[in-house]
Amino acid sequence: MTFGVFLLSGAMLWASGDALVQEEYDEDTYGPKDPIVWEKPVQAVVFTHKIHTMDAGLECDSCHDDIFTMEAGAAAENDDFTMATLYDGGYCGTCHDGSTAFASNTRCTACHIGVRGNARLHGESAEGEHSE
Amino acid sequence: MKIDDLEQMESEDLTTLPSAERRSFLKFGLAVTGMYLGGSVLSLCSAKNVYAEGVVPEVGKYPYSPHYTMVIREKFCIDCERCKEACVKTNHVPSYGFRTTILEKRRSLGGESFETTFMPVLCNHCNRPPCVRVCPTTATFKDEKTGIVRMNPPRCIGCKTCMTACPYNARYFKEETRAVDKCDFCFESRLSKGDTTTSCVEACPADVRVFGDLANPKSRVYQLVHSPDTMVWVLRPETGAMPNVFYINS
Repeated sequence: MTFGVFLLSGAMLWASGDALVQEEYDEDTYGPKDPIVWEKPVQAVVFTHKIHTMDAGLECDSCHDDIFTMEAGAAAENDDFTMATLYDGGYCGTCHDGSTAFASNTRCTACHIGVRGNARLHGESAEGEHSE
Repeated sequence: MKIDDLEQMESEDLTTLPSAERRSFLKFGLAVTGMYLGGSVLSLCSAKNVYAEGVVPEVGKYPYSPHYTMVIREKFCIDCERCKEACVKTNHVPSYGFRTTILEKRRSLGGESFETTFMPVLCNHCNRPPCVRVCPTTATFKDEKTGIVRMNPPRCIGCKTCMTACPYNARYFKEETRAVDKCDFCFESRLSKGDTTTSCVEACPADVRVFGDLANPKSRVYQLVHSPDTMVWVLRPETGAMPNVFYINS
């Protein structure tokens, strides 16, 4: 009995402590919660609003609508949506230039989660078709 | 033979063995033991003028010409899997198998963040291929000219011993041909028809895979593998198979 009370109060303390640290993610302030996955021109590149807005402190108009239109995945329809454009300071390369944020030609896998990473994001086994 | 005749014969049991014979037998046994013991003691002494052998062969010591090799610039791989798609298309690889695939490594960066590295893998076309050694029918063999580990599907009896022997899991059993299938550096589908590179190399958008003749100093693989300030490694060097797929990060 005593042990149960101890556990319960411990859990309550832990939960309240957690709530103090974790700010509620507000989609209206910080943008869509779900990560955006680009599948063109190559599979699969991830962008997370939370990392850029809530964590890094960027405003919506830092990127919208000059660099990216607000429609998810719209940029991928452009012919110049390539790594070469990023190196020249376009799209993500506006900030990912080596001084504001890590350069576009470094840390490839920070954004390129690949086919395996994309499958994991969607809760599928990375081996998928290869399981017998 | 009758019992009387048998009694007349010389006995072959140990009682008739002369002691000189016993003595020489024991001497022989002691000599053998001594040889082994001496060798064990010698092996405990440190050897001089011995160097650790690297995974990259010395210039001029390539057993084949052209000595086909692949260099993987690992950190640039983004797992877009265009190489896999191209390979499947070119070599008619079924969905349940692969000739090349991408593995994934995760390294903690502290806290909750991780760094992912993708590792393309394929047949390493070893200089001492364990698969060729174990094949009972010579269905898999080392091409004498190019060093490519190839398959002769009609000869394969499907015992799958090569699949067990391969340190790189680079083989699968193809139901359609009833034979084991594996990467042959696109020899059947491309190289033998005049192409100079493999389909996976051609499909890679990040220039991760580099294919060429290591015996040619002008080739890019030669220059990558033999350039200064470069860390070159192979997978599972401890097997002694002497693989021909080299990994670098520059």
